[in-house]
Amino acid sequence: MIRDTWLFFGYEMRALMRNPVWPLLGLMQPVLYLLLFAPLFAGQAFNGDMGKALDVFAPGMLVMTALFSSFTAGYGTIMELKSGVLERLAVSPASRPSILLGRMLRDTVMLLVQSAVFLVLGFVLGMRIGVVALLLMLLLMVATGLMAAGAAYGLALATKDENAMGSIMQFVMLPLMLLSGALLPMAYGPAWLEKVAWFTPFYHPTEAGRALFAGDFGDFNVLLGFVIMLGLAALTISWSVRGLRRLAG
Amino acid sequence: MIIDARELRKTFTTKSRKGTQTVEAVKEVSLQVDKGQIYGVLGPNGAGKTTTIRMLATLITPDSGTATVAGHNLLKEPGLVRRSLGYVSQAGGVDENVSPRAQITFGARIYGVADVENAVESVLKRLDLVEFADRPARTLSGGQKRRVAIGLGLVHSPPLLFLDEPTTGLDPQNRANLWDRIAELREQGTSVLLSTHYLEEADALCDRLAIVDHGVIVAEGTASELKRQIQGDVISLRLDDLGRGAEVLAPYAKETRVDDDLLRVYVDDGEHTLPSLLRTLEERQLQIKSIAMTSATLDDVFLAKTGRSLRDTGAES
Repeated sequence: MIRDTWLFFGYEMRALMRNPVWPLLGLMQPVLYLLLFAPLFAGQAFNGDMGKALDVFAPGMLVMTALFSSFTAGYGTIMELKSGVLERLAVSPASRPSILLGRMLRDTVMLLVQSAVFLVLGFVLGMRIGVVALLLMLLLMVATGLMAAGAAYGLALATKDENAMGSIMQFVMLPLMLLSGALLPMAYGPAWLEKVAWFTPFYHPTEAGRALFAGDFGDFNVLLGFVIMLGLAALTISWSVRGLRRLAG
Repeated sequence: MIIDARELRKTFTTKSRKGTQTVEAVKEVSLQVDKGQIYGVLGPNGAGKTTTIRMLATLITPDSGTATVAGHNLLKEPGLVRRSLGYVSQAGGVDENVSPRAQITFGARIYGVADVENAVESVLKRLDLVEFADRPARTLSGGQKRRVAIGLGLVHSPPLLFLDEPTTGLDPQNRANLWDRIAELREQGTSVLLSTHYLEEADALCDRLAIVDHGVIVAEGTASELKRQIQGDVISLRLDDLGRGAEVLAPYAKETRVDDDLLRVYVDDGEHTLPSLLRTLEERQLQIKSIAMTSATLDDVFLAKTGRSLRDTGAES
């Protein structure tokens, strides 16, 4: 399986490099948030102190990047279903989980590149974070990205239709994103809203990220964020692999 | 024998607001394919051809029945079956954004081909793909993409290739070109199981064929054997009164059939029967709008076995 996953990863990366326009456009979203929204946030909540504002704003943006960057990967899978690519691969001797794991590794690399660009720009604008916290933050993003990728591939294989997938994603993602506190911390809102948010999945990596940026490694939110994201990643990845097995009989 | 399938069955269940629906896609299919043979599964859309191929390719597990594919038990050794076959689906399986060379190279690596570069070059040359091997597949014509799809199925030199409706949607020139390529596979010793709804394709390419309808094989044999079952000639007439025509011509025919606006008269010896038949129609004052005489075709076999023409099912276009 490792050999096959590596083969698929290599193939997907080469395909990505041949047409780098789309991932480059994907980079723009977090950058635009950083340039066009973070100053508003800093002005409103931190009297213009961009460094302090970014300590709160950047973790949310990184989690949002992980979610959106990976969720969109599912659309490509629907194309591959329709063109018969996945069916052809399913008849090959390649390990079936590796067909998806190779793609997820590619998504992770893309996510790390996007995060790196975001972080460099953040540093230029005054954001500060320690090395250990940064590494843990990237690890949390990988877990979040894998969870989102697993969900996206699973949904694509279950719906087999980009319109259905788009509608479901929009229906589910908008409330979850708003309740994650990625744009504005939920603590700024009424207590009941924060309580509701606690029961949604993306709230926890956002809070974990904020604790890491604050250097508070002992914060329970850090552990909770990792446990929830890793657990959900395991669930969504096994769901997507089961979807591929169903497709392949 | 490269394929020995016995009594394969597959039923699909779909759930909707109207309730649970069960579709018996394959009711009972048994087929034997010899090594080096091009074996055709001919039938209209929805006959169960694709389901049969998908079962034999390990994509769908049959509800019952057994099969040996390339010497391996389909149910117990699906991994070994997959190693021994090439599979080209109806959709083709070509990645639009990647060049044929990159895709075929990757295919060779997945199958663990020893000399990847040589295998890829050989397939590209064999299928006349060298000229556009490095262009993204989306820039290729339909016929070229089909050849890439076959290349993807052949790069690991499998002893058996499944082709599911390989020429659907191609223009006549590209279809004929692909027939030549498929025929070459037989010369190179590759066994082929192909599904088609084109009568001419089955007739021109297949060493043996099974005619499938509603999930069962209604006839099996070589094209000549099948046509011999419908001995003699077929006189096809368009008349102003088909019913009366069938009645008055019955004494001359082994069988008459009204098929839409066409009366088919099956006779032993068309050349000698035709004059008497024309005389009778004239005497009975039946007006002939058109007349044609042909030897029995696979469509006549299908008509005789199922009571309807394959052309009427919308399969031929």
